[in-house]
Amino acid sequence: MKTKSFLAFVAPSVATMLLLIALPLVGVAYLSLHQSHVKTELVELTTEVPLIGGVTRKQTRVVPQSVLGEDGKPIQVWEFVGGRNLEKAAELNNLAKAFASPRGDPGEKTYLARLYREVTNYDFWSALEFTLLYTFLTTPAILVVGLALALAVNSVSKRLRGTLVFATLLPMIVTPVVSSLAIYWLFLDNAIITNFIEYLGLGKFYFLADKFTIRTLIILYGVWFAAPFAFIILYAGLQTMPRDPLESAMIDGANKWQRLRYVIVPHLTPLLTVITLIHVMDAYRVFEPILVFNADIFANSVQYLTYYTLAFENNIHKAAAYSILTIAGVILILVPVLRKSFREYRIST
Amino acid sequence: MRSRSSLFAQSLTGTGLTAWVAIAVFPFFWMFLISFRAPVDAFSSTPTFFAPMTLENFRHIWIEDGFWRFGINTAIVTLSTIAISLTIGCLAGYALARYRGSLGFWLLVGALVFRALPHVVLLTAYKPTFYELGIWSRYETLIIVLVAINQPFTIWMLRAFFVSIPRELDEAAMTDGCSRWKAFRLVIVPVMWPGIITAGLFSFLLAYNDFLIASQLMNGEMTTMTASLGNYMGQNKSMERLMHGIAGAVSVTIPIIVLIFIFQRQIVAGMTAGAVKG
Repeated sequence: MKTKSFLAFVAPSVATMLLLIALPLVGVAYLSLHQSHVKTELVELTTEVPLIGGVTRKQTRVVPQSVLGEDGKPIQVWEFVGGRNLEKAAELNNLAKAFASPRGDPGEKTYLARLYREVTNYDFWSALEFTLLYTFLTTPAILVVGLALALAVNSVSKRLRGTLVFATLLPMIVTPVVSSLAIYWLFLDNAIITNFIEYLGLGKFYFLADKFTIRTLIILYGVWFAAPFAFIILYAGLQTMPRDPLESAMIDGANKWQRLRYVIVPHLTPLLTVITLIHVMDAYRVFEPILVFNADIFANSVQYLTYYTLAFENNIHKAAAYSILTIAGVILILVPVLRKSFREYRIST
Repeated sequence: MRSRSSLFAQSLTGTGLTAWVAIAVFPFFWMFLISFRAPVDAFSSTPTFFAPMTLENFRHIWIEDGFWRFGINTAIVTLSTIAISLTIGCLAGYALARYRGSLGFWLLVGALVFRALPHVVLLTAYKPTFYELGIWSRYETLIIVLVAINQPFTIWMLRAFFVSIPRELDEAAMTDGCSRWKAFRLVIVPVMWPGIITAGLFSFLLAYNDFLIASQLMNGEMTTMTASLGNYMGQNKSMERLMHGIAGAVSVTIPIIVLIFIFQRQIVAGMTAGAVKG
């Protein structure tokens, strides 16, 4: 295909991406470097205050009022503040303080524990902490669960497989807000699972009011939600598995575990890498369970923190600063992938 | 010896799969079941399988809370998003599959980076800009935003499908005198339908499942079904309102279940095309 017709074919798609993804990124950078407020002025306001009967007294007060522009709208003042928003969003001051204050011997275990506790007190760092925890706990879990499911489904009769795939697709395809709600409604204080645990005599659990249980619940939700994705891809990978190596391994006397370890897993390795990449990108933006479980006190995520700042605090500049920090994280995650694909591309040309 | 260990393995597989199906399905099953109940029965201290059934929750949310309006909004937004995103995505995916220059590589890398971005980053920029431009809370705005967010994934997937169609097909058409555009439209698109349907399904899911963007860009009556569920969340809601929310969630789930029933094969094919071939 000629470059000219290539450009013509990709133009509409590229145009929408430039206009609504690339340009907004520039906008976010701009917002994060500025502060804005409504311009106000002090106005002397004279009102008549009633005293007794019909007698009134004039009272003059000085009140701040927004200045209206020629179009009748309040004037917004924009001010360049450089890295100040970012500094505040990352709470660099507090971080520096936490690191500077003496706490006995730096080699001590409690020193690190205390430092960790202090740093994760700050909004952004606590959100980042749980986001990373979620990402690094769910990733190996979905690989293991997905592989186990793929092997299991592969070993049952063809007639059953369709039903199994259908059931497995549910957690992954159903609207994430709805699937989070479906889990949430099981674990409310008077919901079925909570009541059932109490009925078994294991005590009353308040799953949604405790840091440990709510975090566990969100991470289990993450596995439940994403393992089907790993399953589908690994299951497809098993279908393309050549029979010869497996048969020769069996002739050589390899047991089930050895066949899995030395024949099947190496065959699936490229797929395991792809799943890891895609899941890490998705886990980094975990949002719905935090929103639905009202979990942000105990378990926040960078995307929810930014959403909250934008939607409820209405602070676009702070939200933009969080966004910039979020993008930095995305780039850090993608660097190894981009480097690898770039190297491969260079070799192929 | 051998048969005993394989019997053990078989029963282990059977138990594991049964447990998994239960875990995968139960939350939805229970949600469907209690959506037909009064609050007392839905959250009773001794959970029961059989309880009086009622359609009250559905009646209330669909008629009194105006859920039907959000249903119409969802239909307008998702269908338009699918149509536009498939049209421009097919053009780009086809070009990416046939072009050999380095521009194609850079476009795909750029799309990968865009795909990894949390959507709230974009929302931060949309909020003040759209407000200033006066295009807040309009179908067109939400549709074009969803199309753009969809594009990175769509062009990757469609490219994977187009690559699997042999080059000889369009080259033959072009030596017979077709232009590139005609070859694409008359020769390639007709054999691409399975791929287009699959990509359309994923466009649907992205637009339909979106909560973040719709809940912020659309207000009041303009919102979508998924985003409207936000009205029923939160801890300080009455039990009745919670039950209406459950009926709403069930209503949102039904189209998706129908979709999986009809298109299970295409969904599986789409996921594997994106990962295995891409």
